[in-house]
Amino acid sequence: MKKNLFSLAALLLAGFAANAQEVKFEEYDLSNGMHVILHQDNTAPVVTTSVMYHVGAKDEQPDRTGMAHFFEHLLFEGTENIERGEWFKIVTSNGGSNNANTTDDRTYYYEVFPSNSLELGLWMESERLMHPIINQIGVDTQNEVVKEEKRLRVDNAPYGKFIEEIKLNIFKKHPYKGTTIGKMAHLDAASLEEFQAFNKKFYVPNNAVLVVAGDIDVPATKKMIEDYFGPIPRGEDIVRNFPKEDPITETIKAKAYDSNIQIPAIMAAYRTPAMTERDAYVLDMLSSYLSSGKTSKLYKKLVDDKKMALQVGAFNQSQEDYGTYILYGLPLGDNSLESLLAEIDEELVKVQNELMSERDYQKLQNQFENDFVSSNSSVSGIANSLARYYMLFDDVNLINNEINIYRSITREEIQAVAKKYLNPNQRVVLEYLPVAKEEE
Amino acid sequence: MKTKITAIIALFLLSFSATAQIDRSVQPKPGPAPTITLEVPGEFELKNGLKVLVVENHKLPRVSYSLRIDNQPKVEGEIAGVSGILGSMLGNGTTSITKDQFNEEIDFLGASLSFGSSSAFGSSLTKYSERILELMTDATMNPLLTEEEFQKEKEKAIEGLKSSAKSVDAVASRVGDALSFGKKHPYGEFITEESLNNITLDNVRAFYQENFNPNNAYLVIVGDVDFRTVEKQVKKFFKKWDKGIDVTKNIPQPYINVNATEINFVDMPNAVQSNISITSNVKLEMGDPDYHAVLIANKILGGGFNSYLNMNLREVHGYTYGARSSVGTDRYGAARFTAGAQVRNAVTDSAVVESLKEIKRIKTEKVSAEDLRNAKAKYVGDFVLALEQPSTIARYALNIKLNNLPSDFYKTYLTKINAVTADDVQRVANKYFTEQNARVIVVGKGSEVVSNLEKTGIPVKYFDAFANSVSKPVFSKPIPAGITAQTVVDGYIKAIGGETTLQNVTTLVQEMSASFQGQNMAMTLKQKSPNLMSTDVSIIGMGSVFKQAFNGETGYMAQMGNKQPMPADAIAKSKAKTALFDELGLMTNSSLKVSLDSIETVDGNDAYVLVIEDKDGESTKNYYDVTSGLKIKSVSKGKGPGGQEITQERTFGDYKEVSGIKFPHVTSVPMGGQNVELKVTAIKVNEPLTTADFE
Repeated sequence: MKKNLFSLAALLLAGFAANAQEVKFEEYDLSNGMHVILHQDNTAPVVTTSVMYHVGAKDEQPDRTGMAHFFEHLLFEGTENIERGEWFKIVTSNGGSNNANTTDDRTYYYEVFPSNSLELGLWMESERLMHPIINQIGVDTQNEVVKEEKRLRVDNAPYGKFIEEIKLNIFKKHPYKGTTIGKMAHLDAASLEEFQAFNKKFYVPNNAVLVVAGDIDVPATKKMIEDYFGPIPRGEDIVRNFPKEDPITETIKAKAYDSNIQIPAIMAAYRTPAMTERDAYVLDMLSSYLSSGKTSKLYKKLVDDKKMALQVGAFNQSQEDYGTYILYGLPLGDNSLESLLAEIDEELVKVQNELMSERDYQKLQNQFENDFVSSNSSVSGIANSLARYYMLFDDVNLINNEINIYRSITREEIQAVAKKYLNPNQRVVLEYLPVAKEEE
Repeated sequence: MKTKITAIIALFLLSFSATAQIDRSVQPKPGPAPTITLEVPGEFELKNGLKVLVVENHKLPRVSYSLRIDNQPKVEGEIAGVSGILGSMLGNGTTSITKDQFNEEIDFLGASLSFGSSSAFGSSLTKYSERILELMTDATMNPLLTEEEFQKEKEKAIEGLKSSAKSVDAVASRVGDALSFGKKHPYGEFITEESLNNITLDNVRAFYQENFNPNNAYLVIVGDVDFRTVEKQVKKFFKKWDKGIDVTKNIPQPYINVNATEINFVDMPNAVQSNISITSNVKLEMGDPDYHAVLIANKILGGGFNSYLNMNLREVHGYTYGARSSVGTDRYGAARFTAGAQVRNAVTDSAVVESLKEIKRIKTEKVSAEDLRNAKAKYVGDFVLALEQPSTIARYALNIKLNNLPSDFYKTYLTKINAVTADDVQRVANKYFTEQNARVIVVGKGSEVVSNLEKTGIPVKYFDAFANSVSKPVFSKPIPAGITAQTVVDGYIKAIGGETTLQNVTTLVQEMSASFQGQNMAMTLKQKSPNLMSTDVSIIGMGSVFKQAFNGETGYMAQMGNKQPMPADAIAKSKAKTALFDELGLMTNSSLKVSLDSIETVDGNDAYVLVIEDKDGESTKNYYDVTSGLKIKSVSKGKGPGGQEITQERTFGDYKEVSGIKFPHVTSVPMGGQNVELKVTAIKVNEPLTTADFE
């Protein structure tokens, strides 16, 4: 016992200076407005080429939801120089991997190749941006695929609809009220011309950032980038003017049903500020305090000590314009959803009324430092972070400095933010319930 | 002045080269292949048998420890789930550190430490790494296994089962393993609420004692460590771990494959997608000479986006988000080949057929040079890409040890991949991939997919969510709005001729013939409105064998000459009949309760199910085809003379028009395990009949 305390004290003295390797990068603009970020790391003969476009589900017309995600499929169909069906073959036959993903805020495409295929990766991404083929065959095929994706990830998945239900209730005006995958009827109704217009508007170099990371030679890479992306004409500037939400002043109660579950869930969701705001970082810390690790407040109390919950958690879904802070619990045995919510609320009230202990605060700092070190462990992960920090935060240096924001957050600030955003009248309470038998 | 000129020349040259050098209509060629180096981890072994692999990598200030205890697979049987409970209990304190203190310290260090039933994983920043190793060691050797924790983990495991009970994929995975390997095989058995309830804390402790030993244990350390220092630490912490007894048991053999391909269907009414997996057992080890060829063959069939399966099911047909195949390897002779996808209900049968077609294709057609080259290139690329993670070389080294592979297995890996020929692919496809004796396990919504699956011609067997064989379930569909018992009955009347036509019928004679057990029978059914009826069954060469008649007041039944008067309740029932066609007076008959129950599938066709109950508890279910409106089946349940329940089932087909009314010309009745078909030889409408016909 004595020994344990001793080693712990020694660790405390060791201090908390970050010594994670600094991520070095270089950034510049092409004359067509495309932003470029290069990160050289020659430890393994691997290179990532990626492009992030500033277009997501929130940029869609209200009667054409799902468009942005649909493009993530459509833009693999082929280009003027890459025949339909060849995209994946080219990647595979050169030993590469590739994928893409879409959020409400942006769309991201990337390839990872052995480094001797860097030029190939740049060519493919430039082809996608310069002159993709958008035709009816592609639209029809991907329409079916997207529907299967929705069935797989949403309709057939236990608890697959809960984010959708929360967003629907927490946003009334802002397009975040919809889902990224969108409504299938909207996609069915979209004409080919609409797809082409969407491409023309959003898939332009001045709305994109190119990242090349890994085993590269910088001057040669710059030359290739200029060769392949330089000739792509600049597009029109994109004006974004999303409606502002009115504050939530009374609890919004909602119910949703899922035929894929037997155990219900209770969720409390709060609308919070944009990801770039300092308060969003504070809320990240608060989530960890409540639910990260076996000794976090909610887990310890509800899963471990009182055995009322099968699962309990908090997470801060940060987005460009707003965030959503979600607390949730799945009851164990006969415990009611109300009782679970009451217990969760009790912890929230504690955070609002009492300062967390010095030790808990230090624990949080240690956890965030550990996460920070691990976040830069793969080159493709670094590429994604570089693109994200540029596009959504307008500060690429965050890849090295973000930890300083967390370090500067005080216990008092965490308490103040909990008081400011996490009150019962500011939230949606969602009862997520199994569908009774025969009631589909 | 001078400098300006140079600048201009430079710019000119630059723009010239920029426009001249690239031709984007041509796919860029790869540069010279990068050289790769395959490092070898440091190694040492403790006296107790623990083997340690160390990969030094100082790129980031962090360290990970991964402990794996390589025991034989083990049947848990009645207490299936005991290993899982142990895994969830471990890492929550030690005999000298309380649970709260233990977990608090791990969290405080921002580290992570987790246990499985025969594994542990810890990671932290370098500065805390020695302490994490110490805690991991202590929790491995001296775990705190308390009754309280045990009860809690058991309860959580039971709830966990519930939370996935309606998950199509979870059920598909359980049923797939159980049907392939057998429920008594370590890989085929599964956890149930009952087996969890059987487990005691003593079982968990015994499992720990038997399995958590250093004899077959491997510790892999990756990250910012110094070999000598970490060697000292490991020896200090782990030397006290006592060697256990090596328990070698016979592992049951997995099931043998089925003789002919069959569909194994599990009904999940909540499914919006079917989970399809075509599977058979294979014996393949990493050290097998076929190994590299199997990897390539699988890559071509369903190992990636460009595979036969994905290109067909996703890109050509849009049936699925992704179709894949895999071939497992196993040191104990129990691995599976699987090919499958999750597809929407409506295309389930087509997806099965197309998948089988692609498996057949790789077995019968030689793969193109291009597809073969691409599959190899992907393996080479993946090999290179994987080297970015320092844990890769540790994994390789561990694989060599676990699978008794030659030490140059990974050095020669790419050479062997490149040596695979099109003939090799076809040969191993025929050896390891099956479409002729495979199980096609489909988990989905029966009411929407089974009738089409039956039409594929592949025999369908039914199982419940726990892989128990069951008889074909009744699949019902919801009734569309606006459809009621009345509309169904009206639709039927209209379909067979209309109310007026039917009401004009005063007498009806139906003559039928049938063949049963080698004997030819003839049957005559006479009816006169409102309720007179007689049936006469004769066997050719024997004469009348059965007769039944009702003259409006009384009746009798005669079997082989043995004549009995009609019982009173049967008379009452016959009297209650008001029309020759049952449906005519059905909805107005106050002694009957008529309700529209559901839509079920009858021989592949959707039918409305109408339930007619009388006051004595006898009930009839009539099935009316949704499309044609015709009655296609009728099932009556009633009490026999001895009080036992009697079910009479008839299916109707081959409707033909006689005097403006559609009559079924074939009625099929199940009898003694087979169907007897009664075929109409003549129907006479409004033939003059006298009361003598009903005496």
